[in-house]
Amino acid sequence: MKEFKQRLSNSFFFSIVPGMLWQILFLCVPLVFILGLSFFDVTDKVVDFTLNYYRLVTNQFHLLVILRSLWVSCLVATICSFIAYPVAYFIAFKVNKRWQGIGLFLLVLPFWINFLLQVYAWCFILERNGVINSILLKIGLISEPLYLMNNMVAVIVVMIQAYLPFMILPIYSGMARFSKRLIEASYDLGASSTYTFWHITLPLTISGIKTGFILILVMTFGEFTIPTLMGGGKKLFVGTLISEYFFTSRSMSQGSAFVCVSGIVLFVAILIINKIFSQISGVVDHEE
Amino acid sequence: MKNNRLSLSNITMPAFVSSVYFFLYLPIFILVLFSFNDARFVYKWSGFTLNWYYELFRSTEVWLALQNSLIIATSSSILSLIMGCLLVWGLFRRSKFLLPLFYITVMIPDVVVSVGLLSFFTLLYVPLGITTLIAGHTLLGLGFVVPIMYSCFNELDYRLIEASLDLNASRWQTFFKVVLPLLKPSLIAAGLLVFIISLDDFLIAFFCASSDSQTLSLYIFSMVRLGLSPLINALSVFLLSVSCLFVLLFSSLRDRKEFF
Repeated sequence: MKEFKQRLSNSFFFSIVPGMLWQILFLCVPLVFILGLSFFDVTDKVVDFTLNYYRLVTNQFHLLVILRSLWVSCLVATICSFIAYPVAYFIAFKVNKRWQGIGLFLLVLPFWINFLLQVYAWCFILERNGVINSILLKIGLISEPLYLMNNMVAVIVVMIQAYLPFMILPIYSGMARFSKRLIEASYDLGASSTYTFWHITLPLTISGIKTGFILILVMTFGEFTIPTLMGGGKKLFVGTLISEYFFTSRSMSQGSAFVCVSGIVLFVAILIINKIFSQISGVVDHEE
Repeated sequence: MKNNRLSLSNITMPAFVSSVYFFLYLPIFILVLFSFNDARFVYKWSGFTLNWYYELFRSTEVWLALQNSLIIATSSSILSLIMGCLLVWGLFRRSKFLLPLFYITVMIPDVVVSVGLLSFFTLLYVPLGITTLIAGHTLLGLGFVVPIMYSCFNELDYRLIEASLDLNASRWQTFFKVVLPLLKPSLIAAGLLVFIISLDDFLIAFFCASSDSQTLSLYIFSMVRLGLSPLINALSVFLLSVSCLFVLLFSSLRDRKEFF
């Protein structure tokens, strides 16, 4: 037994080299580059340590952009969790195995369709002459087309549509592992269905909401496509501002400093959310 | 009393769930519908046409972009599959401490990864193009292949590997004749996943591509920026059918894996 392990480990140690090298070269080194660019001035072939770039990106304007992104991300994640929980509950507990498969399949299917195309389709729906306006005009509810695009509401709606499966799937997988017998036991012991939900089902499945929340937070915080195409570029988000620095104005150092600052904010936000969720599950657990 | 509430929830729950599904599929449905619409720039329905499909198959730019995308997706899925598989096999039953390195890709926003790659390539004077995109997409792929493969390796029956070594097979023989055949369905599934992630990626392509290495996502983005065009709808229906084919392949492989 020990000899097998020895033989396995000795021979295959070098097989991890290409993968590790790739990961270090194209992920770790670039991240170190970003960190370095934000601290050092490399304009005139002389490397100078400077905190100037951080001074440039910690003003009110930049903090406002970061807070806006954070607020939108948290809002999207919260709305998604409220929509996703009943859906996951329904798929996990209320339908038979065959419909479960179909329901999950339909949730995964949109991942396989180019993300940009889905955003593009929303233009068709929300445009001044788009589907919603045409329908409302035809019914006679409105006499003039509404401006539905290029605002925060459009950005939020499209984000919800795009990221909802990322909330439903973790909640569902938590529920699938959760034994139905616990619910039956609770009923058996005389608990009402409301009581069972609040004291058995929810505390045991809240970790799925936490996973989905953090997943959506990370993905929407740096979102670039949806604010660019749906927000009309009027309101800057973290992702759009980063691309502005690196692409349009080509001031990499300042952009790197901004990446670092917003990264720290995101990290702190995740820590706080983690804390909040453990608080919630603690409260629900020990209410007795 | 209780019966009443039960019947109410029997109606509201399915209604809510189906409306959520409707919301998820609304954009896709609209895309397909308007690809057959006989009008340019007009959102009103003005008759059935296959004109946009004709235009789509005539346009050379789309097919060039698709070709680039396919080259990048194929090479990055093969590369990440080979490297990921070897890596997990090397780490298998040895140490776990290197694995968190591969979770970073998923944990940080995509924008940061792409911006990091851009500054890396620019500072080292690496010309942007298909090669840099393959590097980036392979990185993305590794972030998915390594965790998936790790859990697949852990599900393997270790006794089979021991038996193989016991019967005096060499380490490579064990890897190629025992481990790989056992993992074949999950390998193909992981490869397909990376392929689709690469096709779907926009951000890395946006930052790390040059003008002559336009991918499909970049093409769609530039078209959308110019304004709505039914050509994109036709393209999306075409891609939709290809994706559906892939999904069917993927799920049939998953089913087979459970069957084994």
